[in-house]
Amino acid sequence: MTLRDLTSEAASEGELRERIVRELGSEFQSCFRCLRCTSGCTSMKLLELRPHFVMNMVKLGLVEELISSGIVWTCALCLKCEERCPQEVSPSELITLLRNLSFQREENVPEAYLKVVSSVLETGFIQEPMEVVSREFEEFTRESLGLPRLVGPREAFSENLIELMTREAG
Amino acid sequence: MEVAVYWGCMIPTVEYAYELSLRATFPRLGVKLIDLKGVSCCGSPIKSVNRLAADYLALRNIALAEETGTEHLLVPCNGCYLSLSEALHHWRTDEELQGEMEKFLDKEGLTLEGGIKIVHTINFLHDIIGLEALEKAVKKPLTGLRLVSHSGCHILRPSKILDVDDPERPRKLDDLIRALGAEVLEYPESLDCCGAGLLLSHPETAVSLSATKLRAIQGLGVDGLVDSCPACHMMFDARQETGARAIGYKLSLPVVYYTQLLGLTMGLDGRSLGLHLNQSPVEKLLERAQKTFP
Repeated sequence: MTLRDLTSEAASEGELRERIVRELGSEFQSCFRCLRCTSGCTSMKLLELRPHFVMNMVKLGLVEELISSGIVWTCALCLKCEERCPQEVSPSELITLLRNLSFQREENVPEAYLKVVSSVLETGFIQEPMEVVSREFEEFTRESLGLPRLVGPREAFSENLIELMTREAG
Repeated sequence: MEVAVYWGCMIPTVEYAYELSLRATFPRLGVKLIDLKGVSCCGSPIKSVNRLAADYLALRNIALAEETGTEHLLVPCNGCYLSLSEALHHWRTDEELQGEMEKFLDKEGLTLEGGIKIVHTINFLHDIIGLEALEKAVKKPLTGLRLVSHSGCHILRPSKILDVDDPERPRKLDDLIRALGAEVLEYPESLDCCGAGLLLSHPETAVSLSATKLRAIQGLGVDGLVDSCPACHMMFDARQETGARAIGYKLSLPVVYYTQLLGLTMGLDGRSLGLHLNQSPVEKLLERAQKTFP
C-alpha cells in the first residue's frame, strides 16, 4: 500500500502532532518546503523517501499513515537533510521520533532492529565477538588475533535500559 | 600522551582490522591507549527505537571514560562518535535531561562531569598529532600511489556539534593520506553515503548504494579507497562482492582503513595491521606500494 492510498481517508491526530512539536521544538513548524532535504536525500532515488513530504504529513497530523506505510524505515540516517536545511529543521530527527512511535505501537519495526535491541539488553553490545575469515580462508577470533577480552556492562545496566525503553516517547 | 579509547560494537566484534591497526600505530605516535571496562553499545541503533535510551547508553560510556582522567576520549567509529558527541551536547544544553540521566547513571554507580573531549581517529590524527608529526613517522612513503577517501556521514554531520572543517568539502582525511606520500583525487561522489544505515531495514538497497559508489571510484582508475569507519568499511570491503551482484557490475577495488595505510608507511608488517582480514583485493594496492618503497 502506498502512502497516497493511506492518506486519502486519513484522520488527523492533532494531539500527537502537538506532542511532536513540543519534543522537536517550535522551529519544526518553520519548514517552507524548499526541498533541499529531498533533493539531496540518500534514500530518494531507490526508496522514494521525500523528507519534505514527511514533514508536511506530520504538520497535517497524519502520523499513523507514516507509521503504517513503513516509510520511516527507508531513511539511511545520513543527516544531509539536517545539515542542509536553511530553516534549521531536522527531518531526520523527526523520522527518528516517528520510528520511536512505531516501536511503541509495535507496528512495522523491522525484525533486525528488534534483534539488536535484545542483544544490547542481554550482552550490552549489538552482537557477540564473531569468528572472521581471512582472504586465505584462515579462521580468526579476538583471542587468536591477540586482542584483549571484551568486558560488558554490569547488571544495573539492563534494568535501566528496560525502564527507559518502556517509557512513552515524546 | 594517554588517551581513553571507546571501541563501540562493530570494531571489537567483527572489524578487527581497525582495532589491530590502531593499536599497532598509535603507540608509535606517542599515544598510549587506555581500554575501558563495562562499556556498552553507543546507542546509535537504539536511537531508532527510543531516543532517551540512546542518550543513556552514550552517556554511561562517557562516564566510564571519564574515570580514566584523560583529557580526550578517542572514538574510532563514526556512528559512535556522533552518538557520544550528540548525547553530550544534549547533556550540556538540557538541564531536565541532565537531572533525569543522573538518576540512571547513579544506579550504576556512575557520575558524569561532561568535560571530556570526544575525538574521532581522523580528527585526533589531524588536529592533535598533526600532519608534520605524521610525516616524520613515515619511513616508507606511498609515492606514486593514487587514492581516494571516504570520510563517512557521521564525522561530518551535523557539523554544528562536531569538529568539521567543511561538511560539504571535507579535507582532513585527504590531507592525512597526502602526509603518507600518496596522491589523493577529489571525486563527485565523495559525500555519498555508504548505505550502512539501511542494512537493518533495506539490506538490498544498502549494498546497492555502497556498490554504486564503488563503481564510480573504480572508474577513476585509482589504486584504492581509504576509509576510517567500521560500518562504511564493512559495506565497501566485506560486502563489496554482494554489492557487485546487486548492481550487476564487476567490482575489484582495494579498500583499507587509514590506520592500516599509516602502519604500512611506518614499516609495520601487514598481518599486524590486520591486512589479511580485508576481503577486498588489497594485494593490488600492496604490490603497487611495494614498488614505490625505496
